[in-house]
Amino acid sequence: MIDLLQLVFAGLAQGAVYGLVALGFVAIFSVREIVNLVQGEYAALAGLTAISAVGAGLPLLVAILVAIPVTIGIAVLLERLTIAPVKKMTPLTSIILTLGVSTAVKALMLLIWGPEAKGLPTFPGSDIVLGGVSIRSQELWVLGVAAVVAYGVIWFYEHTVRGKSLRACAEQPVAARLVGISPRTATVVAFAVAGLVGGVAGVVGSPIYLSSWTSGLTLGLKGFVAATLGGLTSLRVAMLGGLGLGILENLVAGYLSSGYRDAVAFVVLVLVLLFKPHGLAGKSSGVRV
Amino acid sequence: MQRSMRLVSFGLAVGLATTLAACSESGSSGSSASGAAASTGDIKIGVVLDITGAGASLGVPERQTIEMLADQVNAAGGVNGRKVKLYIEDNQSTEDGAAKATTKLLTTEKVDILLGASRTGPSLAMRPIAEKAEKPMVSLAANAKIVDGSKWVFKTAQNDKVVLEKMVDDMKAKGITQVAVARDASGFGEGIPEMLAEVGKAAGITVVKVEKFAPDATDFTSQMTNLRASNPQAVLIWGIPPAAGLAQKAYKQLGLNVPVYQSHGIGNQAFLDTAGDTADGLRAPLGRMLVASQLKDDDPQKPVVTKFIADFKAKYNANPSTFAGHAYDGFMIAIEALKKAGTDSAKLRDALEAITKWPGVSGVFSMTPTDHSGLTKDALVMVTVENKAWKVAG
Repeated sequence: MIDLLQLVFAGLAQGAVYGLVALGFVAIFSVREIVNLVQGEYAALAGLTAISAVGAGLPLLVAILVAIPVTIGIAVLLERLTIAPVKKMTPLTSIILTLGVSTAVKALMLLIWGPEAKGLPTFPGSDIVLGGVSIRSQELWVLGVAAVVAYGVIWFYEHTVRGKSLRACAEQPVAARLVGISPRTATVVAFAVAGLVGGVAGVVGSPIYLSSWTSGLTLGLKGFVAATLGGLTSLRVAMLGGLGLGILENLVAGYLSSGYRDAVAFVVLVLVLLFKPHGLAGKSSGVRV
Repeated sequence: MQRSMRLVSFGLAVGLATTLAACSESGSSGSSASGAAASTGDIKIGVVLDITGAGASLGVPERQTIEMLADQVNAAGGVNGRKVKLYIEDNQSTEDGAAKATTKLLTTEKVDILLGASRTGPSLAMRPIAEKAEKPMVSLAANAKIVDGSKWVFKTAQNDKVVLEKMVDDMKAKGITQVAVARDASGFGEGIPEMLAEVGKAAGITVVKVEKFAPDATDFTSQMTNLRASNPQAVLIWGIPPAAGLAQKAYKQLGLNVPVYQSHGIGNQAFLDTAGDTADGLRAPLGRMLVASQLKDDDPQKPVVTKFIADFKAKYNANPSTFAGHAYDGFMIAIEALKKAGTDSAKLRDALEAITKWPGVSGVFSMTPTDHSGLTKDALVMVTVENKAWKVAG
């Protein structure tokens, strides 16, 4: 029983990181129908930037406060340079385009930071044991920060005029423009949100899961799988999907074999595409992924 | 239309076939030409390392070491007046990458000797290619399978069996019999629990649980949870950094308190950085370089190790890892043999096999026709970690 709880708890923390990355996919797709495969790189970029800032002697908190805005800035800059100039964007075009951008970003990260994986120092706090289950302080940080950020993003998209106007762009682009919502601003805001959640995921996860030039690829794929559970349009299901995926991975690793860990996400993806292509929520208004 | 398509594909097939023929022809004529010209000109050393991917913390310092040593050798006038030229390839820590790089070095660059790879898996992928081409190869990795029964392949890292023997001695002294193992799922960890059971049989040591982890894994909660449930008297973690360091961390964080043993694959700063203060008190059989300042003055390795550390520090402003040490041994043994035998493949191989009592960084090497690794357990000392620094264990 203790082992089960131990595995579930570790899975929750891992899943929270996937969930944050998944939010980034949804944040953009629900506004512009763009599948942004650079999403995972935001996490790697933020983690590596923060590590360099700490290495340069900045305190941890300052390093994080530098890394996240830098990541948001790069997310927006990449959108302006690569997404904005495309006249007729389809989901397929966006996949090919962002795959190329993500490869380029990866190569740049390899040039700048080298091939070795590094981790941020653990955030302040001490590990605790609760009824036989060891809980790492960093896991509590991951869960806490993920909860706050996820709540903030969902609230922004669903309860503010600004956020609702973003979704209007996706549903009725022409009507949205008629009532004065600029699709250009909407896209920039969506990419900024994606950069924010990706950056946060990279920074809080780095002490446990490390950051390297390749870490964005797996994170991005896992996040994408979690996002498809919500049909790429539901922020809530994407976040919960990330948590569920993390738990499932750890249970498989614990009870079957750790070699199957990375296969879990892809089995889930295949099952979703076969049986629930609109996402688990099942609303036909959702987009077919 | 259809006809023209067929024509095109026919044309392509012909083109391809002629290109292939041309390639293989130039290949064969090229190799005989280089065989004839082998006694003059630059000495070509092909190096295949894990520079990116899971083995990056090994391959990067190995490359730095080999580049530094090649410069030193050339600055001192080369090998018998011939300059050394390096051809360094990155295998991306994959087996197929290593095989491709080896083939390229042998057929395109026509190197005289091969060094690499950093880890066991890629080294095992290189072995049959070197054997078939009949070119001497010196691996920098650990698993004894790399050189078991080989003719052309040698290696410099201490054999895993020798490491386990040293470990079993220590466990025996401490009265430990029940050991749980978490091992690297790639070639480096292959067969380790079985070998531990075999080596430890006389001491009554049994392996109670085995867990595996991918070399690039980052979360070890599931493995350590299962090890904890098996109630061992000691845990052996067999992997390379950063994975070995993260496993060490997870081990402590899950509240395991039994002694932990680590392999000789952890001897670098990346391990100390990732494990942090959770590394305190671990036990690992490691080469003498990490504890160089604590060596006695009459130790035959002391001058070699001290000079290497000083040179590496002066050039790269960092302490060399044990992996840099394996690269030093591999490169310098190759140079030693090249000095004696030149670049003729068969003579070079014999010269490598004739290396005896050669003091290197990882130990004093004595190759024999049956032992192409050249080190015994005397090459190792039990090392522990105190305040993020290596210490000779008491």
